[in-house]
Amino acid sequence: MSVKILTVDDSKTIRMIVAKAFRPYHCTVLEAQDGIAGLAIAQREQPDVILLDYTMPVMDGFEVLARLRADRELKATPVIMLTAEAGRDTIIKIANLGVRDYLIKPFKNELLIERMLRVLPLKLKSEGLERFKRFDDPIRILVVDDKPAIAVWIREALADTPWRITDTDQSGQAFDKCVDPGADIVLASLSLANDAAYMLLQELRSHANTATIPVLGMSIRTATVEQARAQEAGFAGNITKPIDADALRNSISRALKLDISYKYFKQCGSALALTLPKDSHQNASDVVSLRLDELLGATVEAGGDRLIIDLSAIDTVDLQVVKLVISALESCKKLSMKHAVVAQPAAKAMCRKYEESNSWSFVDSFDDALSPAKQPGK
Amino acid sequence: MLSMELNAETPAPAALDALGQIVGSVGFTGEATGVVYLYSSLDFAILITSRMLGIEMAEVDHDEMVNDAFGELSNMVVGYIKSRLCDAGLSCTLTIPSVVRGQRLSIGVPSEIQRRIIGFRNCENHLLAEMLVKQKK
Repeated sequence: MSVKILTVDDSKTIRMIVAKAFRPYHCTVLEAQDGIAGLAIAQREQPDVILLDYTMPVMDGFEVLARLRADRELKATPVIMLTAEAGRDTIIKIANLGVRDYLIKPFKNELLIERMLRVLPLKLKSEGLERFKRFDDPIRILVVDDKPAIAVWIREALADTPWRITDTDQSGQAFDKCVDPGADIVLASLSLANDAAYMLLQELRSHANTATIPVLGMSIRTATVEQARAQEAGFAGNITKPIDADALRNSISRALKLDISYKYFKQCGSALALTLPKDSHQNASDVVSLRLDELLGATVEAGGDRLIIDLSAIDTVDLQVVKLVISALESCKKLSMKHAVVAQPAAKAMCRKYEESNSWSFVDSFDDALSPAKQPGK
Repeated sequence: MLSMELNAETPAPAALDALGQIVGSVGFTGEATGVVYLYSSLDFAILITSRMLGIEMAEVDHDEMVNDAFGELSNMVVGYIKSRLCDAGLSCTLTIPSVVRGQRLSIGVPSEIQRRIIGFRNCENHLLAEMLVKQKK
């Protein structure tokens, strides 16, 4: 999955060097030539990390950083400072700014990549596109906690999933277990002695084969300072103890960006069926929006020609549903695909309250949508 | 970042004129005040730019890319000098880099200004760094 890196530097040369260094990786490099443009892009694009030049005209790196830290949306965004000034005072000043790291110019590309890997995982394009992990895949979870009861509880909480949980109370063994048998995600207690969770995160990030494994911190609800420190250090999220089973699943799903689109999409012959759930339209909308264009494209590539939007399960047609259907039909139109909207009379009547639904091709049942004789037009 | 080896050499003062086709400059002011000029031939500046950016010399845009890269190189050199000055207790602030091009460029220096010149060589290419420092009264 692609990450966004924003480079803010008045030197086009440095911006080009940065962009080139990250070209082999799955990431998008955004560029800004001064602090003001950098802040605007950061607010709009919400980058995963910012490479910030220290000395710039108009607004220097110090002021940009202060404004980032004052911005609710951006204050946690990791910043790596670039500077041509390697003096003791400058380094101390930069270190005190709360940046994640700094680099002295001139720097080698390898060093830039190494520093970036400490902050976030990067995947080489040559590793190929990995398919999205699904919620029902056998996700491998490693629990690192010196309280064995935590691992027992997590095992019980996730017993109805196909996820495989291993655990260790020895932080020294955790890295080895991430390599063999391997882990898709690590849950590490932030209260381990000697900052062992942080050391583990650093070690994972510094090895190419473990650099992308997300690590979730575990702490008690009131340990807010520790949680903020963990977020700053690059933990993918936090699970508070006592652990809530739903929150645990959600945190793991988010951290692994698990694909749950299979709940909504199904291939039916030459058609792609999109079935909206009874409720939770916002969740469905987020997931569907993420995968719709890709799946429609794959359907056409495979010789398919139609999208069936099944509204028969839903109780209420709200604006969220209407927006989702409009967006789906626009995607269909771009690919010259036909469509059919399956809706019972009540749902159809609710749709008709929205003027936009005038152009929708309704059918009464899913079978009708699949039947060539009853297929509506494009 | 330059991906080339530079060896220090003793520069002849007259060499400044012969090489002065592109000049990057960055000033510093504070407890130490002065300016540093970086001189080279345009050909060498293009080579430096191509190495910095990791592209072929033919791909280098002669104006914008070279000016920016040479300005950034000057900034890095003076950033290092500033670091040494600051560590010695002479805190100062840098100006933004500027680049001048022309034929047979030379910089006039008032007599009260201290002048130091360091030469560097890569094969047949020469780079001169000239540092002018105002003496404290």
